[in-house]
Parts: sequence; structure tokens; C-alpha cells
Amino acid sequence: MNCQQAMILISGKLDGELDPRQEELLDEHLQQCADCRQEYDELLRIKEATNDMRFTDLPDRMWAGYWNGIYNRLERGMGWLLFSLGAIVLLAFGVWNMLESFFMDSSIPVVVRFGVGTLITGAVILLVSIVRERLFLRKHERYDEVQR
Amino acid sequence: MNTDDTNLIKKCCMGETGSFQVLVERYKKSAYHYALAFVGNTDDAYDLSQEAFIHAYRALKRYDGKHSFRSWFFAILSNLCKNALRSRKVRRKFMISDVAVIIEEVPAKSGPVEEYRGKVIKKLIWDALATLDDDAREIIILKHFQDMSYQEIAEIMKIPVGTVMSRLHYARLRLKKQIEVMNK
Repeated sequence: MNCQQAMILISGKLDGELDPRQEELLDEHLQQCADCRQEYDELLRIKEATNDMRFTDLPDRMWAGYWNGIYNRLERGMGWLLFSLGAIVLLAFGVWNMLESFFMDSSIPVVVRFGVGTLITGAVILLVSIVRERLFLRKHERYDEVQR
Repeated sequence: MNTDDTNLIKKCCMGETGSFQVLVERYKKSAYHYALAFVGNTDDAYDLSQEAFIHAYRALKRYDGKHSFRSWFFAILSNLCKNALRSRKVRRKFMISDVAVIIEEVPAKSGPVEEYRGKVIKKLIWDALATLDDDAREIIILKHFQDMSYQEIAEIMKIPVGTVMSRLHYARLRLKKQIEVMNK
């Protein structure tokens, strides 16, 4: 075993993740190599120090309200969803009525009606495209975009 | 895999919210401590750990049971923490050094000198940890503070089990180097 191989296995030894054969080979190497031994001792000291580190716990009242906080946020999420859905339905109805009366109004020049029509069509295509992209990302892996 | 968790998830998918509460009670402290080690301040850690449970609840139907719930949940939490740090870089710089609030004072058995030395070492480790990049910090927190197995770490970080040992080693070397630099 050379030092480069030993260095990687040192972490496995610290964490108790080596199989007996690897452990035996590494121990042999550590007995012969002072540099690797020193590296092992230093990393062991860091590991022991972190083992002694304990996070300060939160006050009991914070833990008592923990689940309620989650439940309330979930409930509010559902409320927002229904609210948004209702708003979209009403808005769509209003817009439809408005457009219907606009396009049926013969006093408005055809060119204006045509311009508004293409503008709306373009906006709908853009919206559908964005929604479809969002749905695709959601269906696959939501957190894929996070760089590691 | 914890079969009890799987049963709870099944019940939850059938509409029993109480089952999810059991999961929350089971993992809330480790989730909070993980977020705390990651983002470095108590308020954000509390919020992020709750947010992770909310995300998990909404995605529960997509949980395929290939990995343990713990690994699956911590992968969500980990990504939330990384995203939060990205959007709150400045805030983190101010908050993360508050080690006295975060790390519990454990009286040393061998006297005040050792106790003081222990405090200094903890502060050094904490400060050095804060300087590491997200990936290195993540793997060190998962191993040193959550005591997860290499298998679980691989599932959370979505890397092969064989890669965990080398990644962890290089992260530890960087941590050690930072400690040496700060100790000069």
C-alpha cells in the first residue's frame, strides 16, 4: 500500500467503515510510515473534538410549537391554492366577457381588433410555454438545478 | 430501511396527517441541528427545517421507498440550506460566527485549563467549517454531526458509496488546513 492509498483509507478507519482486510493493510502501513501516522493522529483529534461538540438545544416552547408551525403553513398553502384558483376562474370569466364584447363591437376598426387578437395569442403562447416548462421540471427532479 | 417510517408514509399518503406528525417529531431535532450547522444561525435553521418538512409532505407521493425516509428527507433539507445560503450570503457572514450560542458548553472533566482549550478548539473548528465550500461542509456535517453511514451520505449527496470516503477525506484535509491557517 502506498501513501496515497493509505490517505484515503484513513478516513474510512476513522469512521469504522473499512473491512478487516483494508484495516489490516492500513495498520501495517501506519506502523511503517510516520507521515501517514501523523496525518491519522491529526484527523483523529479533529474527529474527537467534533464528537464533543453538542448543539445548544432550543427552549421547550419552540419545540412545542414546531408541529403547529408546519401544520399552519401547510393549511395556509391549501388556502392560497383555493384562493388563487377562485381568482383565476373569476378573472378568466371577466376577461372572456370583455374580449367577447370587444371583438363583437363593429365600431372598433378591424386592424385594432386584429392587433389585440395577435397580442393576446402571443401572450397565451408564452404563458403556456412557461407553465409547460415548470411542470416538466416539477415532474422530473425539483432539486436538479441545485449545483453540487 | 426503517419499516416503521415506511408504514407511516403509507398511512400519510392515505390521508392520515397524524402519521406525518410522528415523522416530524422523530426527525425534527436532527433536522434543526443539521440546518444549524449548515446555515449557522438558529432562526434560519428553525425555519429551514420546518420548510423541509413542508416540502417533504407535499412530495410524499413521489417518495419511491428506494432509500430511507431519513436520507430522502435530508437530501431535501440539504438543498434548501444550500439555496438559502446562496440567497443570504451576506447575512450568513454575520451570523455564522456566533459559536457560543450554537455549541453547548460541556464542562471538561480535567479542569478549567482543558475546558478553555476545548472551547478554543471548538471555535477554531466552527470558524474553519464556515469557510469551506458547501459540498465539503455538507459531507463533514453529515458524518461528524449527524453520524450518518457512508451509505446514507451517498444517498443524500447522490454520489456512489465508494466516492464518499475520498470526498470526506479531502473535505477533512481542507478543514484541517483551515484550522492550521486560523491557528497561526
